[in-house]
This record gives sequence, structure tokens and C-alpha cells, in this order.
Amino acid sequence: MIKIAIPTYGNGGLNEVINRRFGRCDTFTFVTIENNQISEVKSIENHARGESGGVGIQATQIVGNNSANEVIVDFLGPNAANSLQALNIKIYHAPIGELTVKELIDLRLNEKLQLMTSANVGAHQGMGQGMGRGRGRGLRR
Amino acid sequence: MVKPKIICVTGGKGGTGKTVVAVNLATMFKNKGFKVLLIDGDVENPNTYLLLNGKLKNKTEVLYFLPKILEDKCNKCGLCAENCATHALLHIKDSIPIPISTVCSGCKLCYKICPTNAIEADLKVIGWIYTSSAFNIDLFLGELKPSEARSAVIVKTLMKKLEEVIKIDQNKYDVVILDTAPGAHCDVEELISQADLIIPVTEPTRFGKLDLLRIIELINLLKREYKVIVNRSSLLGYKDKFLLELEEKGIEILGDIPLDEDIVSSYCQGIPLMEISRNSDKNGAGYKSFNEIFENLLKWGEFLK
Repeated sequence: MIKIAIPTYGNGGLNEVINRRFGRCDTFTFVTIENNQISEVKSIENHARGESGGVGIQATQIVGNNSANEVIVDFLGPNAANSLQALNIKIYHAPIGELTVKELIDLRLNEKLQLMTSANVGAHQGMGQGMGRGRGRGLRR
Repeated sequence: MVKPKIICVTGGKGGTGKTVVAVNLATMFKNKGFKVLLIDGDVENPNTYLLLNGKLKNKTEVLYFLPKILEDKCNKCGLCAENCATHALLHIKDSIPIPISTVCSGCKLCYKICPTNAIEADLKVIGWIYTSSAFNIDLFLGELKPSEARSAVIVKTLMKKLEEVIKIDQNKYDVVILDTAPGAHCDVEELISQADLIIPVTEPTRFGKLDLLRIIELINLLKREYKVIVNRSSLLGYKDKFLLELEEKGIEILGDIPLDEDIVSSYCQGIPLMEISRNSDKNGAGYKSFNEIFENLLKWGEFLK
């Protein structure tokens, strides 16, 4: 059994698109896979998203407390990357595009996603709503 | 125990000439036969030794708390992670918390509140202190490790070193000059709070004035005595207006230093302008202004040898 956590907007769910800011997403959508089939979908609010610092660690805590063993993310800061690795959670990188949870799960099951081993943005890059590099891309388009 | 007189050179704004003033004050005291220690408390950019052509020696690590979880004692309750202000403890239910060392501020709260005493004090290096000596001036210098936050801890370590030196030989130094970082942060506060006289160095610009008023606010909060030096006072001809504005606010002036090429060249050479062995222009505007500042300082208080 694998349980995949994906940062999402609003209430999350299979048809919601990925939120590219890991620590500051609204919700995490947890998808359980058994025998290559989706067996359960559940959304959990990210209560840490508004805090000034340490959100990567707290978001990881939510992911870990809901016993996910994989995440699919785009922008990942150093604290989040270190924390996910400390919990031995596999980190998959979401390709560019407005992809839904369902589409990402299909890519994962077809082994089309790349594994990540470290952070791909600096600390605090997910903060604010500016359209600078690595920021605006986290917004819903 | 007779303490040496401690003078703290600060100023709020960066680049006003704090270090140039500190180094030359130290040099002038030394010229008069005082035993002088200069402490560079700008631990994020320690560079005073460059103005003295000195070499850093005796590198010592500054260590600070980092939690270490004793797995056999931990009951996995998560109280430490719940209460960690910087979220430096990663806790998943029914498992042992994982410290994230890069985020830990070293506050020790986790260590104090753990109900099963499962947290041990481990240590991490947050910076270094050095000593140096040049032109018969002793120098203590602190360096904060890049990305670490606790600059005040490095500054406190420097002041503790001074205390230890005085404890062994109370006549080791007659005068101690402290050179602070810009700003009005806790590392600057630490140095100001330990000095007999504060000398904020400013410049006659709007930036200079704003930052000066801010540092004076801090000095007043700490109930310390201060006298201001206006550096680059001949800049754009604002000197008289600027001095008048300070006077109107009841801010006392120790002196002013006009723009002077000889100061710039001494800065580049790494030899203080007031160093006897340097062939400084004794009729130069900078030289004269430093002498005047020193005379005013000797009028302010009694310095014992």
C-alpha cells in the first residue's frame, strides 16, 4: 500500500490542481493506492500555511501524521526537504502544467515522475503572493 | 575591583565610520601610554583587524545548545515539538521527535519542559572568537557563522573573555573600546549596556539623522550616557544645519570629522591615522579633528593608568 500526499488548493480532492507551494498550500490531498488502484481519498487542512517560519517542517508533520510515504510536490524549501527525508518519505517532482491530483496519480502509477533528493528553492521562497521567480508559479492559473 | 573605562562606538547607520573612529580612539589612548583593548563586536562583518594590519590568532569555537533526544527516555508525547517557537522539532505521533538543527535557535525550552528528561544538551558551533595585537593595541574579535542567528551570544562571549582577563590581572587594560555592528539589535544592545560612555558616529544626511535618533532611543532605554561624533561633516555643506538640529534636540556633540583624503589613505593602508609611526599630516583636517575629539573625551571623564 502506498499513501501519497499532494499539496492542493481549497478543499483538495482528486479533481483539484496541485498547489506548487508545499508549505503554504491550503490542503493536502492524501491518496491511498492498493493493487495499483485508488482505494481512498482524504483532504487535510494545512494549518501551518499562514505562519511566518518553519512551515516546511510543520507541513511535513501533517504529511507524516497522516502516514503518507510519498509526496508529489513542485517547489520544495530546504527545511521541508530535510524533514521529508528524515521521515524517509519519497519526494516526487510534479511536471510543469496545471495538473490535477488525479492526473499526477496516473503519472506516478505509470512511473513517469522524477524523484527529488534535495530542495529546489531557498528558504522562504514560498512566502507572499508576488509574481517573482518561484512565487507566482504557485498560484492557481 | 577597578574596572577599565569602557567606551562603546556605535551609530545605527552602517558605513558612518564607526570602526575608523574606534581604531583611532584606541590609537590615541595608546599614544598617551594607556593599555588599550579594542573589541570588534560587529560579529556579522568582523573587519577591525584590517584597519590595524593585524593577523587573527587563537581561533576558538563558540558553542550553543542543540537538543539531543535520548531515545530510551522519550515517551513520544510531542510536548517539545508543540512548544518549539521555531518548529525545529519534527514530531510524528507515536514516534521520537527529530531535531532540525538549521532551524533551532538554541532557546532550550524543549530541554526544560521535557516531562521525562529525555532531552540532553548537545552543542553546535555558531561562531568563533579570535585575538590579535597590532600597534600595541590588543584586539578581541568575534565572528558569527553565516546563517546562524545568535549574534548576541558571540558578543557576550567576547565580553566574558574580557571579564576573565580582568579577573586574572585587573591592571591588564586601562581603556576598552567596543566597536559595534550597525543597527539597534540585541548584539549592539549588549555592548551599549556594558559601557561607561557611548559614542554614536553619524553623518550629516537624512539617513544619518534617522538612524542616529533610533540608536539614541536604545541608549536612552538603557539609561546610558552618550556623545555624538559627526563624521564626513563637510559633506555637501550641511554641517552647520545638521549640528544645529542635533543641538535643538539636546544631543551632545563630542566632535566632528571633515572629509579628508589622509583618513581614506590610512584606511587603505591599514595604519590608523593617529598612529605615531605613520607619517600623517599633522595640519590635516582629519588629524586635527581627531585630536580635538580626544581632548573632549579626556575632559568628559578621568582615565586612570
